Amino acid sequence: MSIIYEVVIYLAVGSTYWWWSQNLTVFGLAPNLMFAAALCAAILAGPVKGIAWGFFLGFYADMLGSDMFGGYALTYTLMAYGVYIIKRHFDMDSLFSQLVASLALSWLSILFYQGLVISFSRPSNLDLRVFLSEPFLNALVVPVMFRIFYQLKRGLGVL
Amino acid sequence: MRPLFPGAGEHGRNGAVRTGQAMSREKDAANYAVVFFAAVSILLLLFPVSKIAHTVRIAASYSLYPSLHYGARYTHYVRNVPDNFLLLLETDQENRALKEKVRELEVRLQNAAAAAGEGERLAVEMGLSRALPWKGVWARIINKTPADWYGSFFVDKGAEQGVAINDTVLGMEQGHAGLAGRVLEVYPKFSKVLLLTNGAASAVGSIEPEGLEALVEGKGTWMLKMNYIPEEASLAEGAEVVTSPGGLLFPPGIPVGKVKKVYSRESFMNFITADVVPSVNVNTLKEVFVVRRNLPKELLGARQAEKK
Repeated sequence: MSIIYEVVIYLAVGSTYWWWSQNLTVFGLAPNLMFAAALCAAILAGPVKGIAWGFFLGFYADMLGSDMFGGYALTYTLMAYGVYIIKRHFDMDSLFSQLVASLALSWLSILFYQGLVISFSRPSNLDLRVFLSEPFLNALVVPVMFRIFYQLKRGLGVL
Repeated sequence: MRPLFPGAGEHGRNGAVRTGQAMSREKDAANYAVVFFAAVSILLLLFPVSKIAHTVRIAASYSLYPSLHYGARYTHYVRNVPDNFLLLLETDQENRALKEKVRELEVRLQNAAAAAGEGERLAVEMGLSRALPWKGVWARIINKTPADWYGSFFVDKGAEQGVAINDTVLGMEQGHAGLAGRVLEVYPKFSKVLLLTNGAASAVGSIEPEGLEALVEGKGTWMLKMNYIPEEASLAEGAEVVTSPGGLLFPPGIPVGKVKKVYSRESFMNFITADVVPSVNVNTLKEVFVVRRNLPKELLGARQAEKK
């Protein structure tokens, strides 16, 4: 049963991200909900499931994109693995560690993805505005999404 | 493997060993998972070089992501896509553009129909105004208040066009002019018209053909009331009422309405009353003709007289 809930949550996150980026952008900026969901899933779930969540959320983000396919899937897969390594040494449940992790991993993810773009697709067109502001927006969203995922995990047994 | 709790007994040692094994298994599973998913991702990164994969993905993205609807305009989004799918995208774009154009044209068509109707009506009215013995200006009704539907409305001509207080306002009904009311307030670019149907409005009417004079008053409804008709008058239903030469406000001879019903004399009054259907239906009025009266200052409102 929990797999159905997980699919529903997965689609809900994807749809919310799509809707947000269409309707709630401020100066063209919106938090990357897919990244936030991947990070929260990696913190809350076990290693395999966390990595799987990272992969599939990245896959969804790739579906929404139009250039390179598989870039976000690889980025979030590796990020989930990184979180699995980190959370064995740090308490990722605390707000501060989530803020720091989301800031650091956002920048790392963007840089890694841009590296993939350069390698696989074409010259990078990294928007400096996004590079500078999106990590902070993500840092604001991650704790909220973590609470939501935590409640879903307790209530529905997902993740 | 080194036990996690050195002081523990054999049972504890076994438990620690089991925990260590579980952690090791978990670590192995994580390593396998990351290798597997990373490999799949890299395959996906390499895979879209095939046209079919790229096309399927573009089709899915096109359905999911609105910004890609506009992607067909930018060839770099859809490079490597077969021509027939590209054609499909372009057809969809064209279809959307055409639907928008159809909507726009429908609005224009409605506007054109309204303009044509208005043009015909104005042409008739212009012809009529040439036949009218009074000088004046045509004005369009710009505002009717639902709460005061039979009381007043605003027209788009004001002092700048020579409209003055108490100027007579005529409406056109079936090719004939009829009394609609008089100008009550004048502003530089618009004016307020007090309708004859207003409860506060009245005009001295003359009943054709005898020329008996009576007071036509508004009732706040679509119907007028005629008072002070001499009891000896042989008033018939259908008799026409026009403005009387005895009334100063309105030029004589303007149709006011037709008698609809005559009421018998009350025992305590020495005159009779009648209902009059106005010559002009205020519900269908779009334009009115404001007759310049050039009335003496004494008949103008105090404020207007001061302005002059």
